[in-house]
Amino acid sequence: MAGPLEQFEIRPLAELSVGGVDISFTNSALWMVIAAVLVTGFMTLSMRRGALVPDRWQGSAEVMYEFVANMLKDNVGTAGRKYFPFVFTLFMFVLFGNLLGMIPHSFTFTSHIAVTFAMALVIFIGVTIIGFMRHGTHYFRMFFPVGAPIATAFILIPIEIISYFSRPFSLAIRLFANMTVGHIMLKVIGGFVGLIGIFGVLPFALLTGITVLEFGIAALQAYVYTILTCIYLHDAIHMH
Amino acid sequence: MPQFDISTFSEQIFWLFVVFGILYMLMARVALPKVGEVLERRHKTIEDNLGKARALKDDTDAAIAKYEAALAEARSAAQEDIRVASEKAAAEQAAKTEAVAKKLSKKTSDAEKSIAEAKLQAMTGVADAAADLAREATEKLIGVKVQPKTAEKAVSVIVGE
Repeated sequence: MAGPLEQFEIRPLAELSVGGVDISFTNSALWMVIAAVLVTGFMTLSMRRGALVPDRWQGSAEVMYEFVANMLKDNVGTAGRKYFPFVFTLFMFVLFGNLLGMIPHSFTFTSHIAVTFAMALVIFIGVTIIGFMRHGTHYFRMFFPVGAPIATAFILIPIEIISYFSRPFSLAIRLFANMTVGHIMLKVIGGFVGLIGIFGVLPFALLTGITVLEFGIAALQAYVYTILTCIYLHDAIHMH
Repeated sequence: MPQFDISTFSEQIFWLFVVFGILYMLMARVALPKVGEVLERRHKTIEDNLGKARALKDDTDAAIAKYEAALAEARSAAQEDIRVASEKAAAEQAAKTEAVAKKLSKKTSDAEKSIAEAKLQAMTGVADAAADLAREATEKLIGVKVQPKTAEKAVSVIVGE
């Protein structure tokens, strides 16, 4: 019986190294590639006909497009239009990563803090650059809201700074923790099914329910990751 | 926990950037413009069709208004014609009635005249006959031959009474 953490193990499929840095092609990289291929295939093959009246596949691709476009428009406004390809790629990449993880014996690359944190850091740095490019030094006002009494600066500014810098952590840890815990839970409860004989139907029923829940969480966490990105973008463009 | 094995970080992050970067390029350059174009085209087609429908509706409304105007015009023209015709007919009838009445009154007066003539003639005839009768009767009864003139005078005296 494999341990509940074994599913997160990263196994190199092809050893690679550049300048002493290990860049082996691993099972994690393989599933990233699978996710990217599926997203690209879905978005291009579905739209191949580009029909005026869409069929089911084209309709689905359009729904994804409009879903992310509306999310961006509602949260950032028209100024966010430039970042739509990035936000869309982010959403689809995380969504497919989460959902592919639901396939037994697959690998969930979004359950790794290195991946979620790297993406969060790119978003954080990118958003900060956008903020300074649009507002210059005025962007420092982010740390002290307009209209707050000067006397509160001692408390407010440290709080705002901590809150600002905790963004990539909250973004990264939320996704990583949700994916990891869900998969551990599935594995542990799944382990009970075979161990307790006929009473295994109980954990099996529970497992079925949790599987449905995990599909929901897979989609929801992709949504949360993306919408938080949109909110950070909004702050950078419009400042609070 | 394999998640905290720092030795795997470099390979994960490297492949994340490579795969995400390629996916971003594919989305930004190929997939999303196509979707956007299709959605834009659909939006435009719907707008065009709505515009066309609106134009057609306007045309229809104009045609209906024209038709109604023509109908109203025709109706008033017809009423005018009817009015003129009935006036003409009334005038003709009045003229005819007058002519007939004139003819009738002429006939009546002619008839009255001829009746009066006939009466006069009849009266003269009766007086002559009466004078002849009186003359013959006088001759037969008393053997006196009365001059026609005398007899006529006597009759006219009696008739004139």
